[in-house]
This record gives sequence, C-alpha cells and structure tokens, in this order.
Amino acid sequence: MSEILTLPLRSLKSLKRFEDYNPIAVFVFFAGAILPAMFCLDIILLLISFAGGMSLLFSLKGKAAAKSLFLYLIVPIAGFILNPLFYHNGKTVLFLINDTPITFESAFYGMSAGLMITAVLVWFRAFSLIMTSDRLLYIFGAASPKLALILSMTLRYIPLYTRQIKKIRMASKAMGLYREDTLIDRLRGSVRVFSAMVTWGLENGVITADSMSARGYGIGRRSRYAIFGWLAFDGLLIAASAILCAGVLVGAGFYAFGFEYYPEISAVPISAASCLCYAAYGILVFIPVFINIKEGLTWRSLQSET
Amino acid sequence: MTDKGSKKILKIIIPYVLIPAVILAGVFVFSEKAYAWISLAVAILSVGLFYTTFERKKEKARKIVVIAVMTTLSVVGRFVFAAIPGFKPITAIVVITAVWLGGESGFLVGSLSALISNFYFGQGPWTPFQMLAWGLIGLFAGYLSAPLKKSRLLLSLYGIFAGVAFSLIMDVWTVLWYQGGFSIRLYAAALLTALPYTVSYAVSNVIFLLLLGEPFGRKLERVKIKYGV
Repeated sequence: MSEILTLPLRSLKSLKRFEDYNPIAVFVFFAGAILPAMFCLDIILLLISFAGGMSLLFSLKGKAAAKSLFLYLIVPIAGFILNPLFYHNGKTVLFLINDTPITFESAFYGMSAGLMITAVLVWFRAFSLIMTSDRLLYIFGAASPKLALILSMTLRYIPLYTRQIKKIRMASKAMGLYREDTLIDRLRGSVRVFSAMVTWGLENGVITADSMSARGYGIGRRSRYAIFGWLAFDGLLIAASAILCAGVLVGAGFYAFGFEYYPEISAVPISAASCLCYAAYGILVFIPVFINIKEGLTWRSLQSET
Repeated sequence: MTDKGSKKILKIIIPYVLIPAVILAGVFVFSEKAYAWISLAVAILSVGLFYTTFERKKEKARKIVVIAVMTTLSVVGRFVFAAIPGFKPITAIVVITAVWLGGESGFLVGSLSALISNFYFGQGPWTPFQMLAWGLIGLFAGYLSAPLKKSRLLLSLYGIFAGVAFSLIMDVWTVLWYQGGFSIRLYAAALLTALPYTVSYAVSNVIFLLLLGEPFGRKLERVKIKYGV
C-alpha cells in the first residue's frame, strides 16, 4: 500500500514547471544565462543564447512566440546594414559610397552587436513573463524586507488608485469641471483630477500608517511572508546555473573563445576548451526547456498509470 | 558569530572587497565589454548600497507609507495624463517628493517608480540605469531643496536639467554596451536620435513642475504638519 502511495507522490514533488521553481533559483538562472550573452561578443555563443531564449519563449507562449521571432531578427539585420554606414574600420572594403569605404568587418560587427541586443531582449522578455510581481517581491523581500513592504503597498495601490481616478474623473465631469476641447483644457482637467488624487492618497496613506503603528509596526525585527518553498531541485538549479556560467566566464577570461573584429575578423581557433565552453553554455540555456519537457513526460506517464 | 557581528563584517566586505572584486573580475573576463560591465555593476551596486543603508535605519510607518503613495502616484500619473501624448509626471513627482520630504525619499521614489513601471512596460538591461537616473534626480533635488522651494525659475531649470540628464545617463550605457568602448560620435548620434524625446521630457517636466509644484508642495507640507511625517 505504502509503495503505491509514495511513488506518485515522490514524482509529484519533482513535478514542477520551470516557472514554479523558487524565484531566487530562477533569478540566479537568468543572471547566469544573460551575463555571457550581454558581455561576450562571440557569434556562436550568441546564436546558442538566442536559440535557448527563443525555446524558452516558445515553451511559455507557444505559437505566439513565432511571430516575435521575425521581429527579433530585424535587429541584427539592421545592425548589419547600418553599422558600416557609421563605422569605416576594417580591412575588407566592399564598396565605396561618396568616397567612404563600406567594410565587411563593420557590417559583421553590426550584425554581432545586433544579435547580442536581440538575445538579451529575448531573455528579458522571458524574464518579464516568468517573474511576476509576487515573485520579484519575494526576491526583494529576501534582500530587504522594508523595500518589499513599500513595493507590495505600491502594487496594491496601483489598481486602487486607478479606480479612484475613474471616480474622481466622473465626479468632476458631473460637476461640469471637465472639458476636453483643447490640449490646455485636457491638461488642466487632468491636473485637477491628479491633484484630488494626491490629497486622497496621502490622507488615506496616513490612516494606513496609523493602523500599522497601532498594530506594532517597527517593534522588533521585520519578517516576511514567504509563499515559495525550497526543494532540492531549486538548489540543484542554482548550483548548475552558477557552475556552468562560471565555467563560460572563466573560458572567456582565458580567451578560450571570442572574436576580434578590427582590423580583420579573426576567431579564436576552435579547441577542446572552446567546445567545452559552448557546450556548457548550451546546456545552461536549455535547462528550462529540458525541465518543462521532463515535466510533460512525467505528467503523461502518471496519467496513464491511473 | 552574532548577527550584529556578521552585519558589521558585511558592511566592510561589501564596499571594500566585493565591489572591487566584481569590477576587476569583470574587466578580466569581459575584456572588450569591460566598460559596459563596469557601468552596469556600478549602477546595480550603488542602488543596492543606497537600499542597504535605508534598510538599516529605523523608519516610522508614516514615512514608509508616504513613499509608497508617492511612488504609486508617479506610476499612475502616466494613466491620468494618457490623453496628452508624451506627458509623464514621474520626474516631476520625484522632484517634488525630494524637495519637500528630503533626498532619501526622492531617491527611493525615483528608483522604485522606474522598477515598478517596468512591470508594465518590460524589464531590461536598462532597468538599473533608469533606477539610478531617477534616483539621482531625486537625491540631488533633495540637496537643492531650499533654493528649489523658493524659486519657480530654479525649479523649471531643474526640470530641464533632469530631462537632459536622464537622456545623458541612459545613452552612455547604450554606447558602452553596443560599441565596447566609449565613442563620442556614437554617443552624439544616440543623443541626436533621442533629441525629440529629450526635448519633450524637459518641456513636460517644466510644465508639470510649474503646475504641480506649488499645490503638491502645499499638500505634502500640510500632511507633514498635520500628521508629522
């Protein structure tokens, strides 16, 4: 009996999508994935990074990510075309425009830099999708409970104030104070609404503060409410991200890989060390997708068991 | 080791060991992007250092709440003025908060507004720089509190300065990141393409400060006197 019960439960414990890992672990992962892409201008590394980031976007958003793929590819193409118009360094002159040389090196640099920007943007897009405000709040709370308090208050106030603004706007409209004929009118109307909002917000806030003090805010150490737990898998994710990222960075420091762009494009020759670095980074950026696929398979096998 | 002892050691370790180590390691690892790395690390660490000093202080609940209220107003202000394109009152609110409640509140409202509006508009490598830029605009407004309170002209000038400074700070990063080193030509090009935005920031800052400065200041003053924030 216990055999039957413990088996699915144990697998259930590991049954977490990447998004559901402890936010601190997820944050460390993102830092590890983004850092090399942000500061190593190596086209192979950047392609790996872009592929990893896009695969995560696909697993988060499904087919909707395909549309953005083309949008993201515009940046490196624009870099390829625009950079040589501004920069004329490089040996290989392709052609001349008004006696200024257009060089291949400059175009290639533009493309690499564009790919770097794109890769980082893709990663931050995934970061924004996963790191919802409650998750970021949890991370901030770990570092600074007081800041987390201010942040959570603000996040609660935003919808509250938005509603209140609507009310004030309707009231001032009903009183005939609100016209939208000219720009000046609109500005004055908005200022009036905003001004009422400030008074309301401050008065309301002071009442909240008094209520907080009455309940003993500021006595003793500030603790926090943590909604996310820790599992062994979270520690594993942190360790893997840190070790793989550190490996790539050490490789970059010792020129195991990398590119020279000017005056002539020259790559560090492919060696065992460079392959190791690329492989490490490849494993790192595909961790989320790997976790999600594994989760999908476990889920299916569990379904077929029952 | 006691909790207090470890905190004291942290206080020494962070500025004298951790920060130089992070920067030196970055310079070694990211040889061609070292400047971009240094500027990002400095932005994050300086905002972080400011936050840790704030964390250590004993603060009254009222101050905390007022900071949250002003941060919310600067974020929500975008929606209030959505009818007028290009008008965002964040800078104005940050400056007003700083002038009436002090530079520290200004820094917090500025940096947190940047962080929270990016919840809606997307986080990116620009987030730490926006946090630092708006935070510093608030911090300096706090230092200049006395003259800014007295003269509307100086307040307007500060609005222009804030609009320009914001663009200057943000574009330094753009150039360093894209080019690796600092190139004055690319910086000039970046500033030039951003010029319409810079001008509209500066103009709207001035208009907001002139329109909102007096009444908001009175309101904050009133709350300060009435409730003793």
